[in-house]
Amino acid sequence: MSNDSGLPTNPADLRLLLHALVDGELDAATSLALERRIASDPALAAEHARITASQAAVRSLRRPEVSEGFRARIAAIGTPDKTQALPARSRRPLARAAIHRFGSFDWRAMAASILVTAVLASGATQWVMLSGAPDSFAVAIASGHRRSLLATSPVDVVSSDRHTVKPWLDARIGVSPPAPDLAKDGFALLGGRIEVIGDKPMPALVYRHREHLITLVAAPQETGGASAPVATDLSAGGFSLVHWSDGAFSYWAISDTERPELENFVGRFQAAAAAG
Amino acid sequence: MPHLADALSLARWLTGNADDAEDVVQEACLKAHAGIATYAGGNARAWLLAIVRNASYSWLARNRPRSIVAVGNLADLDEVAAPRETDADSPEAALIAKADTAAVATAIARLPQAFREVLVLRDINGLSYREISAMLDVPLGTVMSRLSRARGLLMSELGDKR
Repeated sequence: MSNDSGLPTNPADLRLLLHALVDGELDAATSLALERRIASDPALAAEHARITASQAAVRSLRRPEVSEGFRARIAAIGTPDKTQALPARSRRPLARAAIHRFGSFDWRAMAASILVTAVLASGATQWVMLSGAPDSFAVAIASGHRRSLLATSPVDVVSSDRHTVKPWLDARIGVSPPAPDLAKDGFALLGGRIEVIGDKPMPALVYRHREHLITLVAAPQETGGASAPVATDLSAGGFSLVHWSDGAFSYWAISDTERPELENFVGRFQAAAAAG
Repeated sequence: MPHLADALSLARWLTGNADDAEDVVQEACLKAHAGIATYAGGNARAWLLAIVRNASYSWLARNRPRSIVAVGNLADLDEVAAPRETDADSPEAALIAKADTAAVATAIARLPQAFREVLVLRDINGLSYREISAMLDVPLGTVMSRLSRARGLLMSELGDKR
């Protein structure tokens, strides 16, 4: 067997690559080479079909129900009156932590505490107007969106399957935001790409609504970001822009669609992301 | 509450029981709160799942000491579950697709722990190879080979049903 395709000749390694293909973990060139090999090799094709079938079988299992009682028990962990038993670090008052804002371990712990509380205890994202959003960031996102409309393809990885898009993003820049497919709500997931904003690579998801494209940039929240869930309406470069945060990511949704449509999208995305 | 369902799934498959899973997740959430300083940024869900995984194993060690197979040397395990040399007796994909959910659940429960956790983290929790590799602290290649073995065992189990 020749090695022109760059694929491994060892059958065991080839088998591992099949799994990686099904999991969306391969880069485009290797995927292409492997797909060609599958097309010409019935045994490989059968194994590929088996892997896909077994993955589908596992995914079809019902997820455990989260009972209301249990949800309440967990939410109670994050409330202040239950934190007596927790180490002092996690119940340090906010004002005090804010003094240690720069270079302080405690401040990081506090930020993480807010994050975990948000992760564990908040289902709904609170909508608060925020006037001080960084404008240059919005402009950069608008430019990225406009560029993507002019490019041959608005996405670098084409897939309506979040299990393909997420690992693709993760493999490249080590972050993978929620990527629910909202096709049934009229917002089809087209795929993803990487936006470089400032000097940072950030994951961007692309959705289509009728004839409009929506770019959703998800900036991982780091120590400097706003940690409260916020959302704000902005507009940049003639596009509608909605910004909000959920504790793990700071989201920027931009589109040339009507503002109510974009808000509709944001609501559905938040609901879907919260539903897992 | 997206992460809670995820956390429950993982704990359910690792402990093998839905009721125990709730206790484990509650314990994990307490630990998450107490150990917040160890959160080093990155994917909050993967971080929480890592805590759930640890809590599941401590729970098992405490409550089901006999169920813990000595996984000290995974090389042994790798030999036990050596990959098939040929595809001759592999089941058809259609047969796997037809398997009912109870059969799938049983097949997953029967997997050796080291294979089961990788399968659950990947196919049920949807983590990437890289996230799993970081969580288990094993090389990416090991994640890939365990996942491949796990699915291989699952396939033959489901294919054997009829």
